[in-house]
Amino acid sequence: MTRSALWRRIKRDYGPYLPLSPYLLVVLFPFYWMIITTFKRDNDLYNLTGVPFWFKESPTLSHIQLLLNDTLFITWLKNSLLIGAAVVVITLVIGLPAAYGLARIRFFGNRTLSTAMFLSYLIPPALLFLPLSQVVRKIGFVDSIWSLILVYPSFTLPFCTWLLMGFVRTVPAEIEESAQLDGCTRFQTFRLIVIPVIIPGIITAGIFAFTLTYQEFIYAITFISASANKTISYGVTTDLIRGDVFYWGSLMAGALIGAVPVAIVYAFSLDHFIHGLTAGALK
Amino acid sequence: MISPRDYAEPAGAIAVPAARPRRAVWRRWESLEGFVWVAPAFIYLAIFIAYPFVMSIFLSLSSARVGSPDWHYIGFTNFQRIFEDPTFWQTVRNSFIFTFGSEAIRLVIGLPLAFAMNRTFKGKRIVQGVILIPFVIPIALSSLAWKWMFDSLYSVINWMLMTLHIIDYPWQWLGEPGLAMWAVIILNVWRGFPFSAVILLAGLTAVPVEVIEAAKIDGAGPLRRFIYVVAPIVRPILFVGLLYSIVFSFTDFSAVWLLTQGGPYNTTHVFGTYAYNVGINAGDIGQGAAITLFMFPLLAVFVIVMLRLLRRE
Repeated sequence: MTRSALWRRIKRDYGPYLPLSPYLLVVLFPFYWMIITTFKRDNDLYNLTGVPFWFKESPTLSHIQLLLNDTLFITWLKNSLLIGAAVVVITLVIGLPAAYGLARIRFFGNRTLSTAMFLSYLIPPALLFLPLSQVVRKIGFVDSIWSLILVYPSFTLPFCTWLLMGFVRTVPAEIEESAQLDGCTRFQTFRLIVIPVIIPGIITAGIFAFTLTYQEFIYAITFISASANKTISYGVTTDLIRGDVFYWGSLMAGALIGAVPVAIVYAFSLDHFIHGLTAGALK
Repeated sequence: MISPRDYAEPAGAIAVPAARPRRAVWRRWESLEGFVWVAPAFIYLAIFIAYPFVMSIFLSLSSARVGSPDWHYIGFTNFQRIFEDPTFWQTVRNSFIFTFGSEAIRLVIGLPLAFAMNRTFKGKRIVQGVILIPFVIPIALSSLAWKWMFDSLYSVINWMLMTLHIIDYPWQWLGEPGLAMWAVIILNVWRGFPFSAVILLAGLTAVPVEVIEAAKIDGAGPLRRFIYVVAPIVRPILFVGLLYSIVFSFTDFSAVWLLTQGGPYNTTHVFGTYAYNVGINAGDIGQGAAITLFMFPLLAVFVIVMLRLLRRE
């Protein structure tokens, strides 16, 4: 085989992957580093001689043990999952009818309300956390995960409703009209015709509600202070730093394990996720 | 947004007279009914977005502090103090550098990625999934990994740079004013470029193959094809995606807070972190609220631009 033929073959077989490899490296390296750190012994972690990319001493589980035994990691994980599930339910129960109403029912103020829904997504938590801390205190949910369950839908609702509106519009109006002619009430049409058709949209909205909730940080650190009420993001980033000492092995273990639920949801719903990302941003 | 087709009378409705009374009732109730469907959502948003927003205006005009619930109206004192506060002006500058610096780098590295993804190859789905991971993983958790990689003594990034003889002494990424800004930008780019790339990719796939082929036949090279054919089609999508991403960088809290807490010497404070420091850590809620309110006019500008673009489509 001549050189040019070889080059052509390489280009044909690996061409698409070559430009992607630096990206994959940059994306994945921090995770590799988290895994290595999680299992390295402290001596090994803080040994500056030699190449740091692999174990110089045998791996250890001590960091994970510290995380599980000396911190409330499992409680934080439970809190995060519980809050996530509750917020998904609230978001869908309130967001689905709103999406249907805005997308399908012609009423005075419909357009204004649709725009308001869109805009409220752009008012960031960084603008609202101070007054909301007062609202939470007034309602009497200081230092309780209920404060987060109540407040989080304020950012999942706009995004998910907007997303669901796009899906509702894909349901042919003719099907609904004929159901109405057959004597279905509006609610029956919604329940029996619209919802089954937009199940993929509902799944997408649920995934987003969960990931957005699971990622949230500023409200959590503003409203919560007791360790037992912390979420994953909050607990891992505060309780493993004692004074000036960073428990790096356990910190990385917590970050890794904490990311697992989102990673699982994400892996099973990749197509929904990418669709939602582009649709949510562009429609 | 709402196409007239959705509300067109179906042809069948006229042919079936028996159903007409029922339809008339449907129509009459529609206006009221619409409100019933959307009311829970808007009541929710009124309580948790509109009300706190108005409240933050009142707070900014008061002497509210953490732990003392009584507010005293103090006029524009909080704003006056902000204007005289050099750290605030530094925060404004930092926010712009952080936002637009990150955005520019995201685009520069996102565009080649989008081009590389814009073809069919084996395992494309998996590659796309992996590339998006930084965007999906909770930022607080991945920030920790970067904080460790930027560690003052055991930074693996320094180790690599020194081994490659790019630097000759360990850099204090999170301890030196200029470098710390780079560190938070690097984290923000790492987290956000997958989103930029996905948006760009969505734009690129919107360009019909026939149009590209036609331009090729007409003798346009890759660069000209990009400037004259691809870019105009991609532009509206790109703009909206860009504005989203700018708004989220501009209002970021977690990335900066976890990496530097605004330090060293306030050189990485952005609106969110500075307001948190003043409002929660120092307990001066009124002053903190005044700081957060400065985000609003800037956000409003972004939003107006976005709405205009959307309406034009």
